[in-house]
Amino acid sequence: MTSRPPNGHFTILYFASAGSFTTKNVEALPAPLPLSKLFATLEERYQGIKENVLDNSLVTVNLSYVDMPGGEDGETSDEEIVIQEGDEVAIIPPVSSG
Amino acid sequence: MSDPTQPQQQGAELQDDVCYVALTWGHLNVQDMMNRVRSPAAGAIVLFAGTTRDNFAGKPVKELQYTAYDKLALRTMMDIAKALVAKYGLKGLAMIHRLGTVPIGEESILIAVSSPHRQAAWRAGEEALEECKARVEVWKREEFEGEGGVWRANRDGVQGQKVTEGDAAAQV
Repeated sequence: MTSRPPNGHFTILYFASAGSFTTKNVEALPAPLPLSKLFATLEERYQGIKENVLDNSLVTVNLSYVDMPGGEDGETSDEEIVIQEGDEVAIIPPVSSG
Repeated sequence: MSDPTQPQQQGAELQDDVCYVALTWGHLNVQDMMNRVRSPAAGAIVLFAGTTRDNFAGKPVKELQYTAYDKLALRTMMDIAKALVAKYGLKGLAMIHRLGTVPIGEESILIAVSSPHRQAAWRAGEEALEECKARVEVWKREEFEGEGGVWRANRDGVQGQKVTEGDAAAQV
């Protein structure tokens, strides 16, 4: 269902409030990108997104939830995740099914 | 690039042993969901239907719009279903969520559970709904009369986020 992003890029999906803030549901961003740089990269493109959306959201890479480096718990992981070409990243705001 | 945040109009489904989960753009069918969990070993089927309410804290709601991360939502729904089948010894669990525009008063989710005895089915049905609301990657936007919508959050203490008119147009 998901077509692959252009060479040297990953796909990022913006759901719910993330989509409203960016005014798009999907785009391709340059890869590789360390996960720790993701929020700063998005903030650069969409000023205010971190405070308004990302700080309340979860992140998945290829359908798996990932811990954002430098999170509130202050833990640092030994091996940092790097988003690779062709990966599918998603911004997951608080869910509201039912 | 195709847009994976916009589900295919025909929806999607997963079946694994006695578990069935689905997302659909069509109307929900109670009889179909009951039939999916029907079993000669079951003495009870419990069915839950969630319907769309016409107000949020007294403010009139015109309609609701649901969107999903299809692939991940189905996977999470299946995780929930399998865990509850194991925990309560269920004979079947079926869960379907509607996407797109849902007019007020219509079903947005159905959960059907069958078990040898009714107590397990009641409990598993309630737990399935609570788990679904807490975890499944589906989002609801309430559209108010004459203004933009609000993305709702089920999580306690998280306010829905206002969508401006311009933003709302980008979501269509």
